[in-house]
Amino acid sequence: MATGSSSVSEPTYFILAALLDGPLHGHGIIKRVVDLSEGRIRLPVGTLYGALDRLAANGLIAIDHEEVVDGRPRRYFRLTDDGTGLVLAEARRMQHAASIVTARAQPPRTAPS
Amino acid sequence: MRRPTALTGPERWYRWLLRAYPREYRAAHGEEMIATLLETDGDGRAVPWPREALALVAGGARARALGAGRGPAWADGVHLGVTVLAVLNLGVLVPYARSVPVWTALAAVTLFAVTRGWVRTALGLVALVGGKVLAVVLGHPWLDQTLLPVFSDGVWNAPPLYSRGGPVAPVAAYALAFLGLAVLAARHGPLRRRTWRWWLAVPLTAGVDPASWLMVESGSPRAAVRVGLELALLCLAVWAGRVAADPRWALAAAIALAPAVVACLEGVTTSRADVLVSFHGFSAGRQELSHLGVLVLLTVAAAAVPLHARRHALL
Repeated sequence: MATGSSSVSEPTYFILAALLDGPLHGHGIIKRVVDLSEGRIRLPVGTLYGALDRLAANGLIAIDHEEVVDGRPRRYFRLTDDGTGLVLAEARRMQHAASIVTARAQPPRTAPS
Repeated sequence: MRRPTALTGPERWYRWLLRAYPREYRAAHGEEMIATLLETDGDGRAVPWPREALALVAGGARARALGAGRGPAWADGVHLGVTVLAVLNLGVLVPYARSVPVWTALAAVTLFAVTRGWVRTALGLVALVGGKVLAVVLGHPWLDQTLLPVFSDGVWNAPPLYSRGGPVAPVAAYALAFLGLAVLAARHGPLRRRTWRWWLAVPLTAGVDPASWLMVESGSPRAAVRVGLELALLCLAVWAGRVAADPRWALAAAIALAPAVVACLEGVTTSRADVLVSFHGFSAGRQELSHLGVLVLLTVAAAAVPLHARRHALL
């Protein structure tokens, strides 16, 4: 059911959404999530890599390529087909859940003058 | 992991915090995480934000739980439970080491064999030391002339050995360890070597008098530390079971807790309102039974959360 409880936490949802535009590395994901959430979600690095490990273990993201910058490795992550399907399904679920409320919401009544 | 010669303030902190992660994880991803941390830390703070530091510690603990949750759960759970019993059994004897040096040393060798995964050696040693404990609590000299009472060495200030309970509970701890090792021996598979850090638990365990671990004496710092440790370890088992969706910590907790349940059952002789259970030498009231109930409840929770986590995996 579209309005049922989700298995995707909000930070994970934004990580998946950030990767919709193409592969990103860790810092790139953090910056993109801040942009998409309008500054509301700032992922700590420990939380980000924990989420990336879980998503990779579940086949929702994969390593696109690796490079070395200033002597340090950098992995770029991309969405898999399953990951794309999950984030789209989650978006539709929330959209449907929101429409249930917004369709019934009455415009505020103006006080009689 | 790369080791630059001159570390900046935040990098030094981040490297220290990354020690929360397992060594293999640090080797694979440590440098990448350092780079991301330094890039994200745009204002060049000398000390990391507390939120960032907490996330690294939590992430490291989570990675450790996931790493420990690999391999066959039941065998590793039994091995972990037997390791805890070996620590407890040694901890019981350490305060009396001067009086029973040979048996204390054999209990230490048992712990060494268990942590190394030498199941058959440990099996023989547990049978030997457990047999001696059985003889001692029954009052029959066996292999040497040790008989109760056995008094603790001065520094420990512990009650006489096995003076605060019946004969079944001390033997039950060895019998359970023996059964666990027998099951592992029948399995024929390799066991993981446990860290040397288990030895650090021995003096701590000895200091909190594990032989009377079911008793909660009001105002006793020793009892307070013991109860605090038990609750913290069982909460850790619940958390690890939730993170890794794995029951091995629940199994280990159940094995380690079983001697306390046996001690409780052994002492059931009366059901008066204020004194529910009478032991040999002391009476357990509601406080002790509540304590045991909380321990059992946390163990059940540690067994239940992996099932829930498997059905409702939160990404």
